[in-house]
Order: sequence, then structure tokens, then C-alpha cells
Amino acid sequence: MIKNYIKTAFRSLQKNKGFTTINVLGLALGLATCLLIVFYVVDELSYDKYNVNASRIYRVNEDLKLGDNKVQYAVCMAPLAQTLKNDFPDVENAVRLKKIGDMHVTKGTESILEDNALFADPSVFDVFTLPAIYGDEKTALTEPNTVVITEEMAKKYFGKLNVVGENLIIDGNLQKPIKVTAVIKNIPEQSHFHVDFLVSMASNPEGHSTEWLRSDYNTYVLMRKGADYKRLEAQFPQFLRKYSGGQMQQELNMSYDTFEKNGSYFRLNMMPLTDIHLHSNLTGELGTNGNVEYVYIFSAIAIFILLIACVNFMNLSTARSANRAREVGVRKVLGSARKHLMFQFLAESTMVTFIAVIIALVTAMLALPAFNHFAGKNIIVNSHTLTWLAPSALIAILLIGFLAGLYPAFFLSAFNPMQVLKGKISAGFKGGALRSFLVVLQFSISIFLIIGTLVIYNQLHYIQNRDLGYNRNQVLIIQHAFELGDHAKTFKQEIKQLPGVTNATLSGYLPVKSTRGTGIFYKEAVADPKKSLFPQIWSVDEDYISTLAMKIKAGRDFSAQMPSDSNAIVINETAAKFLGFTDPVNKVVYRSSGGPNPTYKPYTIIGMVKDFNFSSLRDNISPVVMQLNTDNSSLSIKVNTANIPALLSQIENRWKDFTPAHFQYSFMDQDFDAMYRSEQRIGTIFIAFTTLAIVIACLGLFGLAAYAAEQRTKEIGIRKVLGASIATIAGMLSLDFIKLVCISILIASPIAWYLMQKWLQDFAYRIGIAWWVFAIAGVAALFIAFITISFQSIKAAIANPVNSLRSE
Amino acid sequence: MLSLQHISKFYQVGGTRNFVINDISLEVEAGEFISIMGPSGSGKSTLLNIIGMLDEPSSGYHYFAGETVHQLKDKQRSALYKKYIGFVFQAYHLIDELTVYENIETPLIYQDFKSTERKAMVADMLDRFQIVGKKDLFPAQLSGGQQQLVGIARALIAGPKLLLADEPTGNLNSKQGEEIMQLFKKLNKEDGVTIIQVTHSEKNAEYGSRIINLLDGRIESSKQL
Repeated sequence: MIKNYIKTAFRSLQKNKGFTTINVLGLALGLATCLLIVFYVVDELSYDKYNVNASRIYRVNEDLKLGDNKVQYAVCMAPLAQTLKNDFPDVENAVRLKKIGDMHVTKGTESILEDNALFADPSVFDVFTLPAIYGDEKTALTEPNTVVITEEMAKKYFGKLNVVGENLIIDGNLQKPIKVTAVIKNIPEQSHFHVDFLVSMASNPEGHSTEWLRSDYNTYVLMRKGADYKRLEAQFPQFLRKYSGGQMQQELNMSYDTFEKNGSYFRLNMMPLTDIHLHSNLTGELGTNGNVEYVYIFSAIAIFILLIACVNFMNLSTARSANRAREVGVRKVLGSARKHLMFQFLAESTMVTFIAVIIALVTAMLALPAFNHFAGKNIIVNSHTLTWLAPSALIAILLIGFLAGLYPAFFLSAFNPMQVLKGKISAGFKGGALRSFLVVLQFSISIFLIIGTLVIYNQLHYIQNRDLGYNRNQVLIIQHAFELGDHAKTFKQEIKQLPGVTNATLSGYLPVKSTRGTGIFYKEAVADPKKSLFPQIWSVDEDYISTLAMKIKAGRDFSAQMPSDSNAIVINETAAKFLGFTDPVNKVVYRSSGGPNPTYKPYTIIGMVKDFNFSSLRDNISPVVMQLNTDNSSLSIKVNTANIPALLSQIENRWKDFTPAHFQYSFMDQDFDAMYRSEQRIGTIFIAFTTLAIVIACLGLFGLAAYAAEQRTKEIGIRKVLGASIATIAGMLSLDFIKLVCISILIASPIAWYLMQKWLQDFAYRIGIAWWVFAIAGVAALFIAFITISFQSIKAAIANPVNSLRSE
Repeated sequence: MLSLQHISKFYQVGGTRNFVINDISLEVEAGEFISIMGPSGSGKSTLLNIIGMLDEPSSGYHYFAGETVHQLKDKQRSALYKKYIGFVFQAYHLIDELTVYENIETPLIYQDFKSTERKAMVADMLDRFQIVGKKDLFPAQLSGGQQQLVGIARALIAGPKLLLADEPTGNLNSKQGEEIMQLFKKLNKEDGVTIIQVTHSEKNAEYGSRIINLLDGRIESSKQL
């Protein structure tokens, strides 16, 4: 019996090649897209799970509140790890990691900046799973001046893998040869931190610090099996009081009780390792993390696309069912029970789904490199992928095949055979309420996606074109100006003389991703957190504000002519607001020297700059205090020339006069764009998926329109004989579908408005959703639908009525 | 073999009943060959469908092969019908996607015959109707007469006691029609198959043993030949 069904199904599919193609391709396209998103989501969810003990590893985070200022850190105090291990039996092990900012490794005559370098305690290998290829993990990081490198680095610097015992020459702050004690496998892509060099913590001069009021170390704890981290967390307040109370009394001249009474706090909390990638975006992260929101958004899109594709499948199957109605009638007369017929249609749709899934799998594999490229991912399909992919593909085949075949199965098998055989039904169901509903569903989703894309793009456009309070255009940043040593100022002066250079400033504190530092100012010469400001403190020079074209709202800029400016500060509007100064100019604030008997150094506010954005526009602007100080991290040059390459080579030549170090530069506007790369990427992916969703929806509409035209051949013939023009007939055929698209617009718009409004809440600086977004989405959907349908409508309308009437 | 008593079939249109079959009583003995005639709309096909249990009467009693059909459940009725009745249509109604062989085989599949049995039975039938050479062709590749032949072969494959034919020659030319009628006569005489056919043609009607004339849902006349 099954053979008979399959045979019929196969031949029927073959007979209707057009429909079958649209049906299978539509479904395959939807499934392939869905699969890519599933790859993406699975990849995002698999972060850090390569660690054998992943479920027992936690990172200790620190929340700090000082007066009105709240900061959440991913880093903790230096002595924390060891103390936790000593004090709590639940803690099996703990490790500290600390980023090395300026690790330059010498290769021949070159000095290469390596970004992925960390100081690490020897226990790093007990907590994380970082298998060594050569060398002994147990002892690898116990000695000072030892380093563990990845196989990639071994190849890069030595051209071979077994380099245990060899020396790496380190520049920068370390300035010495260090010995390679082990070579580990490359860190998996799905890790929240990426490291190429693990330098022993013993090489870090501050590694033994016992300071409980400074947080610099990413601290990870491995809990004992069965231990509850909540129980450990509950003991943290008492623990902190015990260890930091004394130092607080000494340094801040304040007891822990007073500190807390003022509403300030230190708090520690534990974050499961596997949550870090998607749920953590704190100060002091080891790398850029993902965002669980995007995982949700993409999962939703995947479901949407799958839904659209399945709806297509159902719609086309039922539409085609009129042609199958006679077969159903005959089979019933020949004695087929209803369940047989249902089974037949279900088997048929499962078969088509099977073909579609195979095509989808192949397509997804082929599209994966391209997808990786624009999603900024590195997803690979291996045997591990197959362990979940194969069963889920099978489930998908059965489930989708079943769902998609369900309606035709019930619908067709219920036909009254005599009516069908007399041809009464096949002419009768050109409309079909369910089919209309499904078309509305599809187009509602498509329109929703169009609106979503428009809003996301508008928001990104807004961010990039907003007045940020400074001018990032034509600003060239020369990195690592500290390589120039004492000559940095001379170099700056020489660069300023170059034609095409308007200004230049030496400072590592830039409104794009760069150095950040914080500190405390008091309104009076007393350590009272209630009358304090906890701003970012930026070291700048007297050319800083003019080079970046920031606007002075009150007072004046720093001046080289005023020696007293070394005790002067310029603040931003937000800082003034936090301090409660309406006219901050000439007001004095104080910094504490710390220690048992602190002295307070006064600073005069000489100016206030208009607020400028220096972190992501997702965040509100926080207080900034600028002071004159030497910081040679980078030199920012405002240029005014069309011939940038020529200027660059001039600057590079000057650079080489001073130092052999590598000349590195970037443009501030590019650095700015980098801050929003993840949003950009999301935008691109969103557009790609929206386009696909619309294509799939249109594919279905195309098939339905073709079918509707076919069904109404006779009606069209009669109307033409009665004198209807091609235009009226095409219009009449299109109108049915256009109406449905209009309904979709009405349904999708409010939902899209609501959800996009919520998405925008994430941004401190955001656009409103204008009415024209809905207008554009609606018109676009109508236009696309009309083009799709009119192709079929016109074809039907031009046909000679004599032929169509004769065939009936 | 079958008995209809006071069978009516009507459609309620507004307040009035629109009778398609109006109080028909009919006895059919095994081995009869009945031709039902009458103008369009007189209820011939409806009567045939009621006899074939494809349609239900609005009122009346229906007995078939010793069973009280009007009291049976759908499933039992379908089992009864599968076992005893074969259908032949004016428009043949072969399944386009199946070959001649497969078309004939289909009813056997629904009656759960084993594959080897089916093979033998279909081969036998193909042989009997001399269409062995056409067994792998699709309906579209056959002439009307050949398609109807396949249709009859399919109706007979499971060995029904009663063959119902709704204008079996309606779509055929006179020569093809005559061949089909000869075949019916032979089936009736030699194989003892009871046949009820609906026809417009006097000439074809006379192949039967009894002619029933319908008019406006009633039996107008009945003539034994």
C-alpha cells in the first residue's frame, strides 16, 4: 500500500513540476536559513562549555557604589583568589587572570604587539581546560619569567611546535627574555577570553599585592562537586568586611560601617562561567561578549522564517489539492478508508519535506562560509555537529511533514466522493478562509521584519550621524606614542608643523575605545562619599579640547601659558550636574592622598565642556574630569588634507627618526564605527534574513496566484467574452491578494511598533519611530506582492477565452 | 439481493422540500441486468448512488445482501460495499498518476490482498480483457474505449456481485459503446454479475433484462424484457 502511495505522490509531484519546485525550494530555502540561525544560536550558547568543569566554574564580579556612582566590575582584588581558597572549603581552586596591555614580542628585528596576553596563576590549568601539547602544565607557570603559548604562537615565533625551553624576547613593560614552559592547544573559538600568551603571575610585579581596595584581576573560582555557590555568595559581605575594613580605615580614614551607612557598598557576586558570554557586559571584561538579546531575536526570526516556509508549503499543497480531489473521490469509491487517504497525504508531504531538508542541509553547508564572514563568526561543521544535527533533521522532517500535510490530509480526505467526481468541489474552493489566514500570517511577519529592519537601520544611522559633542572626522590616531619615550612632546611639535596638520594632542583618553581611569573628587576637604564625585579622570594636554573640537560651555580651555593649570580641571556638563554646580567655573574640588592621615589636594574647575559621547550610545554620558597630565599612549592628529597617504608617510618618516618601534595608526571615525560593529553586523544579518523571509513569502504568493488564476480560468474566459479588458481582469485577480496584504499591514504595524519601541529602550540616545517607516514597509509589501501576483494575473488575462471555455 | 422501500431523497430549500427521489420502492434479484432511464434531473444517478451506498437517502428502508443498510454505521457500510459492489463511471475516473496495471490493482490494496495474490488477480484480469500489452501505459495514453475497459476491469477486479454503471458509454462513440455493452451482457450471462446501469440510450438499455423509467424522482414505468 505504501509503495502505491509513494508512487502516486512521486508521479503527481512530477506532473506538477512548477508547483513542486516552488514548494520544495521555498521550504528548503526557509529551512536552510533556519539552520544557519540554529548554527549561530548553538554557537553562541556553547561558549566556554569546552571546559570539562564548566558547570563548576564561576567568575567573581564586583559591584561598587560610591556616593551616587555605581560601577560593576568583572575584576576583583588581587588577594581575593588565594583568600577564597584558604577560607572556604567549598572552593576547590581559584585563579586570577590579568590582561597585559602592552606586550610586545620581538621577532627578528620586528617588535609585534600581542593583544591576547594574560598574567595567570599556575592554577589556571586546574580551573580551565587548556591541554598542553608540550611541556608540563603542573609546573608551567610556577616560576617568574615563564610563559605558556598556544601552538599558533609557537609556529609564528619559532616555526615549530615543540618550543619548550626556548626564550621569547619581550618588549614593553616587561623588557626581558621569558622562557616558554609549555605549548597548549589554541583556545577554542567559543571562549569568552582569547589568549595566546599566558605569562606566569610571578612575573607580574604587582601580583603579590594585598590591596583590598583595588580591583584589577579577573578572578575565577572552581567550586567543589555538589557545592552550592549561593551559599558561598551569602558569606561574601562578612568576608569583605573582614578583609577590607582595616585598609578602608587606613586609606579612606573611614570605618566599614560608616562607609555602608553612607549608602556606599562593595559587593561580590558569582557568575556562572557559561553565562559570561551572553549575559555579562561589565567593566574589565577580558573580551567582547555577545548579547543574549540577539540570540532571542535571531531565534525568533528563525521561527518566523520556518513558519512562513511551512505556511507556503501548506498553502500550495491545499491549493493543489483541487487537482487531487478527483483522485481522492476515485480512491474513496474504490474502497479507501479515510485514514488511508490521510496517511497518503501525510506520507506525501513528509516525502517532500525530506527532499527539502536534504537540499536545505546542502545549501546551509555551502552558505556557511559566507554567513561566517558577515556574522563575524567562525562556525565549522564537524562530527560533533552531526550528533545533534542528524536527529534534529529527522525530527524536523517528521514534524514539518506532519504539520504541513495535516491540513490537506484532513481537508481532502473529507471530500464527498460523488460531489468531487461530478466536479462540484474543485471549482468551489478558490478562496479558502484558512488559506487567506495563512497568507495574512506570512505577510504580517514579512512586514514586521521590514519595519524592524528599517528601525534598526535608522537607529544605526542616527548613532553614526549624531552630534557627539566632538568631531571624529579627519582625526588620525598614532598608537603607542610611549615608544617615543621622552621625545613624545618633540614629536608632537614636529608633527604640528607639517602642512596639512591643524592640531595634535597627546593623550590616551579618547572618546572612542581607549584607556579609562577613575578616581574620587570631594566637594570639601573631607572624605565624605555623600559629597563626592566618582568620575572618569582623563589625562590630556592643552591641545586636547581644540583638536577634538569639543565645545567649551563655560570658562576656558587649558592653556600652556598658565602654569597654575596643573592644578586645574575641566569637567563635562554631567559632572557639573552630579556635583550640583550650576556655574562650576572657579569652584574647587579635592582629591584625597589616601593613607592613614590623608591630605586633600584642591583642584580648580576652570571650564566646562559640552557633554560628549565617549562610550556606546546605549549608555548615558557619565561624569568626566580632564586634567593636564602627561599621557603618551597615543597622539591624535587633526588633519586637513585630501592627500592623507602622503601625510601618513611623512609622519611615519618622522616616527622612524625617533624610534625603531612599529608605526601603528587608525582613524578615529573608524574606531568609532568599531564600537558599533556588533550592531552593524546585526543590521546586516537582519536585512539578509528579512529579504529571505520576503522572498519565501513571495514564492508562496506566486504559487497561490498562479493557482487562483488557473482555478478561475473559466470565469476569466466568460468575463472576457462579455467584454472585460485585460486590465480589469488582472486587477480583479490581484485585488483578492492585495486585500490580504492590506490586512497584514494593519496587523503587523502595531506589533512592530510595540516591539521595536522596546528594543530602542536599550539605547540612551534613540530615534522615535516615524509614521513613514510604516508607510514604506506597507508600500514595499504591497508593491512586492503586486509584482508577484500581476505576473500571473496578466498571464491569465491575456489567454484566449475560446481555449479556456472549450476546455471546461 | 437488494431491496429499496419508500426511499426518498430531498433537499430543504427554504420552507419547501425539493425531492430528487420521491418514494421509490425497488426489488432487485441476483442475476438481473437493469437499465435505468429518464430525462436529465429525473434522479437516475442519485438512485444509483443510493444503491451503491455513496449517497444516503433522506428517508426509507434499504436492504442489501441480507443487511439492513439504513441502520449500518459508516464503517460497516463501507465494508459491505467494498465486498459486493463495483463502480463504472461515464468519465472513467482512472487515477492519472497510476498505470493501467496499478489502477486495476488499487481496489485490491484497499481490501488488503497480499502482493502475490494481487499480481495473479490483475494478470488474470488483464488477460481476460486483452489489455496485457497496455498494462504499463498511463490513462492519458489510452483511447476513451480503452480507458473505460480499464475502468470496468478495475470495477470487477475484486469480484463484486453487483456492478453499478453511471452512463458507461456516455463519453464513447457508438462502436466503442457497443463493445462495452456486449461485455456487460457477457458478464451478466456468463459470470452472473448483477448489473444496474444508468443510460440515455434506448439501444443500450435494451441489453438489460429490465428497463426502469424515472421521471421527477418517481418510477414512471418498469418493463421486463
